[in-house]
Amino acid sequence: MKPIKVLPLTIIGTLVGAIVSAVLIVTVTLPEQASVQAVAIDNLYVYMLGFSGVIFGIVTLFLIVAVFRFRARPNDTREGAPVHGITWLEVVWTIIPFIIVTACAYGGFVVLNDGNVEAQARTSGQVVHIEAYQFGWKYDYLAKNVDLTQQADLVLPVGEAVFFELTTKDVIHSFWVPAWRMQMNATPGQVNTTSTTPSKVGTYEIVCAFLCGVGHTGMNSSIEGSIIPRVRVVTRAEFDTWVAEQKAAAEQQGQTATTQTTDGSVA
Amino acid sequence: MTSVLKPTLARCLWTAPAFAALAVLLTTIARATFGMTPVLQEDTLLTVSYIAGGIGFIVGIGGFDYWWTWMAGGVLDPHDHSTHGAKSWRDYFLFNTDHKVIGIQYIVFTFVMFLVGGMFAEVFRSELAKPGQQVLTNEQYNAMISQHGTIMIFVFLVPIFAGIGNYVIPLMLGAADMAFPRLNAVSFWLLPVAAFTLLSSFAFGSFDGGWTGYPTLSEQSPFGMTLYQLGIQLAGASSIATAVNFLATIITMRAPGMTLFRMPLLVWANLATSALVVAATPFIAGAQFMSMFDREMGTHFFTMGGGGDTLVYQHIFWFYSHPAVYIMVLPGFGIISEVIATHARKPVFGYRAVAFSSAGIAVLGFSVWAHHMFASGMQSWLRVPIMLATLLIAVPTGIKIFSWLGTLWDGVIRMTTANLFAIGFIFTFVIGGLSGVMLAVIPFDVSITNSYFIVAHFHYVLFGGSIMTIYAGLYHWYPKVTGRMYNEKLGRWHFWLTFVFMNLTFFPMHYQGLLGMPRRVADYAPQFEWSNTLISISAFILGASTLIFVYNLIHSARHGKVAGDNPWGGLTLEWALSSPPPTFNFPATPRVIGGPYRYGEEGARHAIVPEPEPAVVEKTYAAAGDQA
Ligand SMILES: [Cu+2]
Repeated sequence: MKPIKVLPLTIIGTLVGAIVSAVLIVTVTLPEQASVQAVAIDNLYVYMLGFSGVIFGIVTLFLIVAVFRFRARPNDTREGAPVHGITWLEVVWTIIPFIIVTACAYGGFVVLNDGNVEAQARTSGQVVHIEAYQFGWKYDYLAKNVDLTQQADLVLPVGEAVFFELTTKDVIHSFWVPAWRMQMNATPGQVNTTSTTPSKVGTYEIVCAFLCGVGHTGMNSSIEGSIIPRVRVVTRAEFDTWVAEQKAAAEQQGQTATTQTTDGSVA
Repeated sequence: MTSVLKPTLARCLWTAPAFAALAVLLTTIARATFGMTPVLQEDTLLTVSYIAGGIGFIVGIGGFDYWWTWMAGGVLDPHDHSTHGAKSWRDYFLFNTDHKVIGIQYIVFTFVMFLVGGMFAEVFRSELAKPGQQVLTNEQYNAMISQHGTIMIFVFLVPIFAGIGNYVIPLMLGAADMAFPRLNAVSFWLLPVAAFTLLSSFAFGSFDGGWTGYPTLSEQSPFGMTLYQLGIQLAGASSIATAVNFLATIITMRAPGMTLFRMPLLVWANLATSALVVAATPFIAGAQFMSMFDREMGTHFFTMGGGGDTLVYQHIFWFYSHPAVYIMVLPGFGIISEVIATHARKPVFGYRAVAFSSAGIAVLGFSVWAHHMFASGMQSWLRVPIMLATLLIAVPTGIKIFSWLGTLWDGVIRMTTANLFAIGFIFTFVIGGLSGVMLAVIPFDVSITNSYFIVAHFHYVLFGGSIMTIYAGLYHWYPKVTGRMYNEKLGRWHFWLTFVFMNLTFFPMHYQGLLGMPRRVADYAPQFEWSNTLISISAFILGASTLIFVYNLIHSARHGKVAGDNPWGGLTLEWALSSPPPTFNFPATPRVIGGPYRYGEEGARHAIVPEPEPAVVEKTYAAAGDQA
């Protein structure tokens, strides 16, 4: 039997892996990219899936070739080659994963910094305070301007950075908007912050991602019949109109500084 | 009547309740004395009953008989081997100090727990098969997922490796037993107590916080949550005691000539794992103690008011529970090295690199715990160093994967069931490893953490990793343990069903997570219907395939072909013994003369087991209890 050339096999493995990644990337349609950060994070996902596919392709191809090529025949009493290692090869396969994880770390670092609009959002953006509770979310925002009453969905203007302050009344919850690729826990006893820049007008699901007790399943606006609010991203003009409406409604009721719960509790 | 006085399970039937009753009595007296109301407080009395009852069980089975006699100044015969070795199946239900008996006790018991934990999974998968809620209430659903995770991790995955190590490692080292045989037996008997504590919590509302049991949710839970906390402490105590035993055994009881770099890689893996267990497990024990005190004694370690902090629990919990992933997978890596080298007839490629990578993973394993907390609101500076350390772990893990490929390459690969599982493991574990690398990267992790992507990832690591290695190891050493061969045909069926349906069960979960399905939910958006139905059907078949394995092992123990001493042609020391090995292992101390994987070298030996000398002068040690 002719010995197998390792280098061509590695190249084929790379190609096979790249095809596997490409197929996964094309077939799995991710949720709509509804924030500036979502685009960057999805690109990071594609970038890492590319590396992963290549490693997977190489390992699998070598595995399959080895099994078919070096398989023992019935009553085969041969022994394998007494090779205990090849130092240069071991060095190579230590360095290559090292380079790949460095590339992943670099990618992660870039996205982390670019997506970090928190400082800017904190000063100039919309500040939204969300209090999680069993089992729903309570919003309190436009703090010094208007108090919002009776609002069901979380209404936000498109293209402007939003700064979230998350607290919880009881246990850990997690505020997850898959379309924004954004998640942050609401941790008892502290204020967690995060931010995003919505980039598309539309209505998006809000999911509690952290097991928070008996009503956890229902704390998800995407479940049929759920009364959990969604995010509604609108244009600036629509947003201003909406704020004015809220203000008028509040004055009409003669109420001051009250925020109402959008109850999503499940019976 | 004497059977209830002798150390048996029958004696446990009265010692455990007696200890519990005593604890209840003392607690009641104390509460009455200090004027606490109500005097009879249900949760308190149950807690002390469980603690004392557990100790009573260990007393009943005979865990303290020897030590008690020694403390009381009784006469002890150092050559009394009446509790050593099994003559009939009944001996497996008794306190036994033979590492081989204990190994089997561990493996059988933990495997039964695997079936129990698997049943819980099948139950909640039937709920998830269709949208809407048909089978379980939310309370029952949360209890099922919590029991599934806890049972699988604490009374199956962690201890089964202790079981396999127990059987194999003293043999591989050329030792007569583990360093501390009685401690070894006590370690095992703590496990049924832990499992009873966890499972009996169903009578008290079970626990509903997942396997992680985070406060402040855990403070709201029914009494079952206290039993979760107690059960983990018991399993943890068992784990620490075993690890100490392994460390002492591996460090001090190697046969002459067995240098560190002549040790089989399973021994290396176990050394690294045991160091991890000893250093990490006290953290989860501490977390559970504090959490339990919060619930039962009104302390404020993790409560929201009173100065507690829930984030602290997460840090302490993961400071154990991340290394625990390596505790559950490093011994499996060791098994894979043994299986692949033996069945591919080739030395492990890059032995030293594989050995050092185990040590490297064990050390790095301590610097990555907070990658479970990227979205928790912890100190933000901590995230980047943790990301880098997590990514770095891929390097030693990669070394192992490539070394196994190098071992298979140019070998003469025998496609036994054991080897099929080892090869299948490489495929599935690579997927789990790669998704792990992706999850280490903060922005990606934060976008899908707590979703089904995470569930997919850790099932690829723990099923595609650990469980595949467990099957490989059990098939590999089965002829050594029973003296008979398993049925290869059934084994192959078991492998293919497991491999195919494992992938069909867990791979679609990546997709679900990416599309926004959170974990630990009993219902989901309509778009996830087809994937969930597919997963549930696959999970049922996966579960059923386990029965083939159980049938094969039970049936072949009686009716299998006689295996002989060394059916695989292995070079490590366990294969130099008869199958099953004699009660005291080696007739004379073996001498190790070379590395463990010298396949392909003409006439190469790892060790020589000399014939016993006719007149061995037995050295007697003065037992501590002897009169001076
Ligand atoms: Cu919640």
